[in-house]
Amino acid sequence: MSQFLQVLLSGLSTGSIYALAAIGFTLVWQAAQTVNFAQGEFVMLPAFFVLIGIHWLHMPLWLALIFGLIVAVIVLGLLFKKLIVEPMLPNGGLPLIIATMALSILLKEGTKQFYGAEAQPYPSLFPQTTLHMDGAVVSVQDLLNLVVSLTIVVALTLFLNRTRTGRCMQATAQNPAVAEILGVNTKRMVLYTFLINAALAALASFLISPVYLAKFSNGETLGLVAFIAAIVGGFNQIRGALAGGLLIGVLDNLTATYVTTEYRAALPLVLLIVIILWRPQGLLGTSEGRKV
Amino acid sequence: MSAGTPVLSVRDMSKSFGAIHAVQGVSFDVMPGEILGLIGPNGSGKSTLFNCILGQLTPNSGRVEVNGQSVSGRRACDLNRLGVGRTFQQLSVFPQMSVLDNIILAGQEHRGTMLGRLFGAPDAGLTADADQMIRFFRLDHLRDTMAGALSYGQQKLVDAAMAFMAGPSLVLLDEPAGGVNLTMLANLKERLVAYNREHGTSFVVIEHNMEFVMSLCTRIIVLAEGRIIAEGAPDEIRSNQTVIDAYLGG
Repeated sequence: MSQFLQVLLSGLSTGSIYALAAIGFTLVWQAAQTVNFAQGEFVMLPAFFVLIGIHWLHMPLWLALIFGLIVAVIVLGLLFKKLIVEPMLPNGGLPLIIATMALSILLKEGTKQFYGAEAQPYPSLFPQTTLHMDGAVVSVQDLLNLVVSLTIVVALTLFLNRTRTGRCMQATAQNPAVAEILGVNTKRMVLYTFLINAALAALASFLISPVYLAKFSNGETLGLVAFIAAIVGGFNQIRGALAGGLLIGVLDNLTATYVTTEYRAALPLVLLIVIILWRPQGLLGTSEGRKV
Repeated sequence: MSAGTPVLSVRDMSKSFGAIHAVQGVSFDVMPGEILGLIGPNGSGKSTLFNCILGQLTPNSGRVEVNGQSVSGRRACDLNRLGVGRTFQQLSVFPQMSVLDNIILAGQEHRGTMLGRLFGAPDAGLTADADQMIRFFRLDHLRDTMAGALSYGQQKLVDAAMAFMAGPSLVLLDEPAGGVNLTMLANLKERLVAYNREHGTSFVVIEHNMEFVMSLCTRIIVLAEGRIIAEGAPDEIRSNQTVIDAYLGG
C-alpha cells in the first residue's frame, strides 16, 4: 500500500506537469484552430534560457527563472505568433501545422548546436528530501511539483472564468467574429492566449527539468505525451487536458512499477488508440461541428 | 454632431470578389431614430454591404461615416465603441456561456481600464443592466441557462439583446426574422419597435420576410446585383415595378 501511494504521488506529479503542456495544446487549438507540434520543444527550451541566465549572465536561480520566463513568453509567445502563426494562418491550418513541425526541428537542432548534445544538470527548485507519511516515503519535490502545477491550473481556470479578460478570451475562442462585433479586441485576446501558452510551457520546463535534466531532445517525449494527454482528456477543454495529463502520468508509473518498464513508452499510444475508438472527443471533451 | 447629421453615411461603396461585383457604388444615409430596411434577392450584396460598413471586409472603394466621423478602415471592435452594433444571419451567441454572461459580455468592453479588466469585478458592474435587458426581451426564465441550450428563436432574442447592451446609436440587424416562429417573431418585432421608441436607436434591417420588414421599417432600399434599384416608403416599394421584376426575374 505504501509503495502504491509513492507511485501514485509520483505519477500525479509527473502527470500534472504533462497537463501544463497539454493545456497549451488546448489553448492554441481554441485560439487558432491548429495544433502546435513544437509544443514539446516549447517545454524543452525555457530550461536552457534559465541555464543561460545562470552560467552566462551569472544570475542567481530566482532571477534566472524570471529571466527564462520572460524570454520564453517573448520568443515562444509573441514571436511565435507574429512570425509563424500570423503569416501562415491565412493559408489554412495544415500549412501552419507543417510549419510548427519545422519549428520543432529547428528548435531541437538549434539547441543541440548551441548548447551541446549532452544532458545539462539543472538546479532543483525544491529540497531533495523525503517525507515519511503513513509508511510511504514521499519525495518533497514530487509533492511540490504537484502542488505548484495544480495551483497554476486553478489560477488559469479562475482567470478565464472570473475575469473580464478571461471571458473575452473564451468568447474569442467560441465565436471570434461575434466577439469582435461586440467590441472585443480579438487580436489582443489571441495574443494573450499565445503568451499564456508560452508561460505554461516555461513553468512546465522549470518543474520537469530537474528530473529529466536539460537536454535538446526532451521535447520529443514531452510533446508526444502532452499531445496524447490533450486528446485523451478532450482537446477543447482545459479540464480535459488536466485529466489526460494526470491519467497518463499515473498509468505510466503504475505500469512501470507493477507490470513492466519495457512497454511503458507504448502505454500512452495504447491509451490514445483506445480513447479514439471508444470516445473520439476525449474523456471530458465535447464534439465540435464544422461547416464545409 | 448636429440634429441633421446622419447616424450612418455610406458613400460610393464597392466590393468585388474576383470578377463578381458584389456591391457597386452604393450610397445612402441613415438618420437618427430611423428604421431602414435593406432588401433584395439572394446574392444582391446586402450582407457584403454590412461587412464592408463594419470593417469585416475591406471594400475596393467607398467611405463610411458614423455620426459624422469617418470610420473607413476601422475594425469592428472600434465601431462597437463608437455606438454601432450588429446581429448576424447565423446564430451568434456564445453557446458555452449563460444568457446572463452573454449579455454582460456584450456590454463590458465599453467600461474600465485594462487593469480593471484583469482585476475588477467580473460582471463589470453590469448585472443589473443585463437583468433589465433580459426582462426587456422577456428572457427572465432563461437567465442562467447556457445559451447553446436555447431554441433558435430564443437565441435570436438573446442575440438582439446583446446588440443593444452597449447602448448603441445604430444597430445593423441581419435577417432577424430568419427561422423564427410566428409567436417569437411578433415578440421580436414588438421589442425592436419599443426599443427604437424608448432610446431613439436607428436600425438598418436586412430581411427576406416582406411582411416583417414592411411593417417594421420607415424607409426601404432595394438592392439587386450590388446596386440600389429603388428607395422609398414601404408602400412605394410594394408597387414599384422594377422591384417586382428584380424579385420575380421578370
